[in-house]
Amino acid sequence: MRPGEIQIRNAGVSFRMYREKITTLKEALVQRFRHLRTAEMFWALRHVTLAIQPGEAIAFVGHNGSGKSTLLKTVAGVLQPSEGEVTTVGRISPMIELGAGFDAELTGRDNIYLNGALLGFSRKQMEAKFDRIVAFAELDDFIDMPVKNYSSGMYARLGFAIAQDVEPEILIIDEVLSVGDERFQAKCTARIRDFRSAGVTFCFVSHSLETAAKLCPRAAVLHHGRLAFDGPVEPAWERYRELERGPMPGPGIDASK
Amino acid sequence: MSIAAQELTATPRKTGVSLLLQFRQLIGLLVLRELKVRYKRSVLGLFWTMLNPLLLMVVYTIVFSTVMPVAQHNFPLFLLSALLPWLFFNTAVLQGLTSILTNQELIRKVRLPQAVFPLSVVGSNLVNFAVSFVPLLALMLVLRQPLTRAMLFLPVSVLLLTIFTGGVTMLFATLTVFFRDVRHLAEVLLQVLMYLSPVLYDLTMLGDRKLWWFKYFRAFLAANPMTYLIALVRDPVYYGRVPDLSTLGIATGFSFASLALGFAIFSRLESRHIHYL
Repeated sequence: MRPGEIQIRNAGVSFRMYREKITTLKEALVQRFRHLRTAEMFWALRHVTLAIQPGEAIAFVGHNGSGKSTLLKTVAGVLQPSEGEVTTVGRISPMIELGAGFDAELTGRDNIYLNGALLGFSRKQMEAKFDRIVAFAELDDFIDMPVKNYSSGMYARLGFAIAQDVEPEILIIDEVLSVGDERFQAKCTARIRDFRSAGVTFCFVSHSLETAAKLCPRAAVLHHGRLAFDGPVEPAWERYRELERGPMPGPGIDASK
Repeated sequence: MSIAAQELTATPRKTGVSLLLQFRQLIGLLVLRELKVRYKRSVLGLFWTMLNPLLLMVVYTIVFSTVMPVAQHNFPLFLLSALLPWLFFNTAVLQGLTSILTNQELIRKVRLPQAVFPLSVVGSNLVNFAVSFVPLLALMLVLRQPLTRAMLFLPVSVLLLTIFTGGVTMLFATLTVFFRDVRHLAEVLLQVLMYLSPVLYDLTMLGDRKLWWFKYFRAFLAANPMTYLIALVRDPVYYGRVPDLSTLGIATGFSFASLALGFAIFSRLESRHIHYL
């Protein structure tokens, strides 16, 4: 396998659905941990097989709760698959949401270092990136202001500016380009295209055909935790709309395992 | 089920301890953040840290010098030298056990070694602990307690106490994720443990009493890690002597056993936390 490659083989992620919500030791002891044995398994994702090549960009599409975020979390390593395998090669940006981990009380400057540290970078490494990040985010005048005073656009700009500078070989972003003005969105789009030509693999969730079509030729449709379609963006959207219109298939709950 | 080769940003393919070491700067930043947030907009700032144990000491001193007199020379120092390490341990564990819950937003979104959260709580309490040595030293001067060379031993004492506290905090932090009432259980247990540790008294003050439960009490004290860890601080500060080798040996053993056990259990359960948050 080459850096930037992602192999997802028959991956599934299950959560326990408790009949009774047991969160205290006393209840668990009284019930002799019965809740663990009788819990139903809810498969947020199941039997998903996908191969993504270095430099490819792929959009994940689907209704709310279809398993898009779960899949991205599994690729990023935030979640471990309950069955199957998810193999990735190369440096992954381990953050699936821009600006996750920003502390509202801290300044933009402090947050850049904090965010870098969350991604496993040392202060020294972040110092080398600092000026580039501030310039990309266009926040020179506001960098020593607490981020709680930022507008949502400024917040997103700083988040994207950091993510784009960590030199990932696989970039994962949950909700991309949903905020920020048009000009900044265009800048991000251009940056993502640069990434792709440099061989960076890019996975993102999209609710907009327009954004997805701008960024990549490939889309995967998830429906109740299953992979319903994998292919070019336009037919993917048709399939997605068809699934949303059509009669609802069985619920995503599978008690068999 | 297999956990496939996941690689992180800066340096690839690390697990366990070496992964945690890569994130040591994050622990530092989280400590700074915690201190900043805690002391922001409070005029007295770090002085609160010094004031808290001093106020407790004043209360206990009044109780034990007037209400129920104890014939202990320089009682305030006798007390404070044990109260400080106890409060460090107690506060770090109580604050640290909710650290996974309070950082759940981050844990859902970023892959990182989750042990950074309880450990950063231990770190910020370590800073407070270190700061509280300032009023301790001041009190020593006021009460004309001799400053001996044995005091140079204190960094070792603090280090061992921190290692011990780190292990216990990680253990309780992971247990709290699965059972939320561990917090209340820990509060009660720690309160009882304080009286079952030589904080308000000393092993030498106990003597031998003809009570049926007394031998069990002594046996508990002998098995209690805090007995040795507190002695590591009280010996140099109050008795002006370097702790003896057996105390040091036992304290070291307990500390590293706690860290190894706490980290091992935490690492085993870490990937399941997200299902219970």
